[in-house]
Amino acid sequence: MAILQKAFQPRELRDPGTFRLIFGNTVLAPLWLLARLYLGYQWLLAGSHKVWGSGRWIAVPGPDGLPLKAFWENATGIPAQGRPAITYDWYRHFLTFMTNHAWYHWFAWVIALGETAVGVLLIVGAFTGLAALGGAFLNFNFLLAGSASINPVLFVIALLIAFGWKTAGWIGLDRWLLPALGTPWQPGSIFEGVRTGRHTPATRARRRPLTA
Amino acid sequence: MKRTVALLAGIAAWAAVASVALLVALNIGDRNQVLMFLPVLAAVAVAWAIGELVTNHVFN
Repeated sequence: MAILQKAFQPRELRDPGTFRLIFGNTVLAPLWLLARLYLGYQWLLAGSHKVWGSGRWIAVPGPDGLPLKAFWENATGIPAQGRPAITYDWYRHFLTFMTNHAWYHWFAWVIALGETAVGVLLIVGAFTGLAALGGAFLNFNFLLAGSASINPVLFVIALLIAFGWKTAGWIGLDRWLLPALGTPWQPGSIFEGVRTGRHTPATRARRRPLTA
Repeated sequence: MKRTVALLAGIAAWAAVASVALLVALNIGDRNQVLMFLPVLAAVAVAWAIGELVTNHVFN
């Protein structure tokens, strides 16, 4: 018991300097900007083609989401020879359930608008970490559905950006959003002002953008 | 009043970035991955510079 207590006593393990430089120092914000723009543009391209244009998924004259239905049916099919596109049975059942219940009508809107939103948020650098996680979640689902394409590369870039959420949006809207809104564990200047009912000198000081 | 105008200018600048990116995506698409980068990067740089100027001159 004493061994367990000693092993799991509260202690904070500090990240090495290199890790903090890459993921927490604004010096490398320009590199994160390039990664963010690349990833954001890929999502914007994918989403915009589903929202606008002749091959769009939504707001079409007929029922919405028919291309998504075709994708799901293709993914859930089991070929006579060779391996099926989906490895996990539970995921195949999940997609089959959604196909049988015609969920592709509204799910096409979720995917089309979700991809576009992830792209725009990454490009303007607003809520960068959450946007990157949203993109990674989409990549994860496409990979589970057996669609590799550029998804593995986008998935890794998205995870790296999510790790660097503090500085990835520094050359972007997060430069002002994060100090104002804060985080769940550290409310920003707006919420501190709301909580106290007035802006104290401390909250006014925190309204200034974070400095390195 | 001055702060409101500055805030609106900042919001407009970043809305312009989103518009530029969308226009590039719809018109250039994936035909040229380098060419698409330039206008989007330039728009981000301009918006960020506006934000920095406004922050330093109006809010600090």
